[in-house]
Amino acid sequence: MEQSSIPGAQSTATEKVIAFLDDRVGLKQMQAKMLNEPVPGGSRWAYVFGSVLLFLFLMQALTGILLMFYYVPTADHAYASTQYIIHEVDYGWFLLGYHFWGSSAMAVCVIAHMSQVFLWGAYKKPRELLWIVGLALFGIVIGFGFTGYLLPWDQRAYWATTVGVEILDKTPVLGDFMARFLKGGPTPGQMTLSRFFVIHVMILPAALMGLAGLHLFLFRVAGPAGPFRGTSDEIKAKTDYFFPRQIWKDIVGMAAVFATICALAFWEPVVLLEEATPDPGDYHPEPEWYFLFYFQLLRLKIFSGEFGQLLGAVALPVAFMVLLVALPFIDKDPERNIFKRPIALVSWIVVMVTMLLFTVAAVINREFLD
Amino acid sequence: MADERESLSPVKIGLGVLWPVCWTGLPIKLVFAVLILAMGMAQFEGRLGIAFLMLLTSPVTVFAVPTITMGLESHLGEGVGIPLLFLISIPIDIWAFGVVGRTFFLENLRKEPPDGLGLTLWWKSALAGALFLPMLWFTVSTVTETAISTSRSLVEMESLRHVFGTGLPVAERISIELALWGTVASVVLIALLLIGVSLIGWIIRGTAEAAQPATENYQRLITRWDLMRVPADQGLMLTAVTGAGVVLSLLFWAVLPVTTTHPHECCKKPDVKAQPMFKPLDTLNKNEQQIAQMTAQLAMLEQQKAEAESEKDKGKRKAQTGKDAASSAVKKP
Repeated sequence: MEQSSIPGAQSTATEKVIAFLDDRVGLKQMQAKMLNEPVPGGSRWAYVFGSVLLFLFLMQALTGILLMFYYVPTADHAYASTQYIIHEVDYGWFLLGYHFWGSSAMAVCVIAHMSQVFLWGAYKKPRELLWIVGLALFGIVIGFGFTGYLLPWDQRAYWATTVGVEILDKTPVLGDFMARFLKGGPTPGQMTLSRFFVIHVMILPAALMGLAGLHLFLFRVAGPAGPFRGTSDEIKAKTDYFFPRQIWKDIVGMAAVFATICALAFWEPVVLLEEATPDPGDYHPEPEWYFLFYFQLLRLKIFSGEFGQLLGAVALPVAFMVLLVALPFIDKDPERNIFKRPIALVSWIVVMVTMLLFTVAAVINREFLD
Repeated sequence: MADERESLSPVKIGLGVLWPVCWTGLPIKLVFAVLILAMGMAQFEGRLGIAFLMLLTSPVTVFAVPTITMGLESHLGEGVGIPLLFLISIPIDIWAFGVVGRTFFLENLRKEPPDGLGLTLWWKSALAGALFLPMLWFTVSTVTETAISTSRSLVEMESLRHVFGTGLPVAERISIELALWGTVASVVLIALLLIGVSLIGWIIRGTAEAAQPATENYQRLITRWDLMRVPADQGLMLTAVTGAGVVLSLLFWAVLPVTTTHPHECCKKPDVKAQPMFKPLDTLNKNEQQIAQMTAQLAMLEQQKAEAESEKDKGKRKAQTGKDAASSAVKKP
């Protein structure tokens, strides 16, 4: 057994505890494996998104658990308990605000992480499985946003879910079953709330933990892809271990995201609309802001009518996801430099501009509805 | 390789320094921004507030933002926290310019970084920003406003109405208008931003021309700028950072309002209102009452009308009888 680092000196209590654990679980070997990962080309700010996403998930889990101490997932009490959290519970408004804006931050960071992997060409051989598991994690993050949106049980939550489930209903073969399964009845009610709650706090976190573990494992097996530019000598000269520089950058990234979410929670605290009812009144249903571009896209005339709805609500997103899954197998060119992959660069710009354009268009569209 | 370094464009030099400087300083500035928000020392207006937090990332806006808000009479927000944030940003930006500038000089320009590089680059960039950014703000605002009105007129043109039969649907119209004016505004913004970045690039190049060339090989230079970032006493650094983290966390929870904060008078957000709650039974009862009332009113009106008509008939009959009597009297002389 390893004694104190200084020969002859007495071991401190901490050293004894560490030695005890090291004997049984191989703590030092684990630490060396985790921290001494070489990062080709050295640490970069562009690599922080994965760690930031992990941090965001942990914070969402923590704030979610704290909110669950007060939240009641029944149609009769969900709204009142959320109001209670906002107005009566100490720091409840901040916890809810953090949880709310944290979900938006997760969506933004997932897009940023996927963009970085895409632009760096890091989905190419031998990282195909890593990319596919990443896409599944992206789906889970979207699922978190969709199921969590209903829980406050106000008009916004109720009608956003109604619209979302109706879109799902358009899927051929499985659509009707999925919509009925999620709603648990002809209109959203207690069964819907229960099912969304269970999916949000049990199924999705378990799936995310499992897939995130697999994602990390695959990452360690394949190793970091490194920069797409620079000679091998330059990359070798800059190569560094994961600890301390990349870890420092990751910590700074996490702190920046934490501070941004806090600032947003102060600036735009969560305010509920009226309690959910089956009558929308003057309220114009719309989903969470990161789904707005798609909602606005479906308003185009091309996506009206039976065929148009099927095209917009099902064919388009399914085709896009299939294309993303198949990407590493279609694009087999080993070239990773994005400036030498014009189709990839233009496609990414088109997708991003479309998302931005239709999100802003959806905001402008509100004036026409009012 | 040396030629490549000599021919680095001012835009590349400007971006190569400004981008990492923004990200180096931002996390520290954000910590102070959050603390100031938690203390309620600053209240921001909606869009300008967001713009401010975004511009907080940039070291070239320290004089430009006050100039824009004063010159264009825009209201950023209220509270002592806002000028305080500007003051706090100054030493952070000088430090960030120093760290990034030294790295850039050694790695990209292969020059020995001169003493006081951070301060020199900061004041020159801040001054250039103060002169250039208000001009950029004004130009982009004017171009955007003109582009919006032009795109609206274009979409409303009669010839386009014919193309789309009954006219453009709302969603398509918004998308086309937005794409038109968004493209114009983005092109102008990007062009002006590139000019601004190249200005900073010229400033950095000017400073580099006076600097001595670095003679070591690439590996030695990398090791040098790498070691520049490692503190002499790592234990002390770790303790200081941890201590600062603990103090800031405690301070944050101490100043965080226990209940929901109320927006300041200057920056109240519009109230979000939804329809009152729908109660099916109440609505049915109310409707039934209304129908009953209206039926009664209708019946009353019909009765009144019938009475009025019968009165008229009586009058007519009386008049007719009078006429008949008069004519018979005339006939009987």
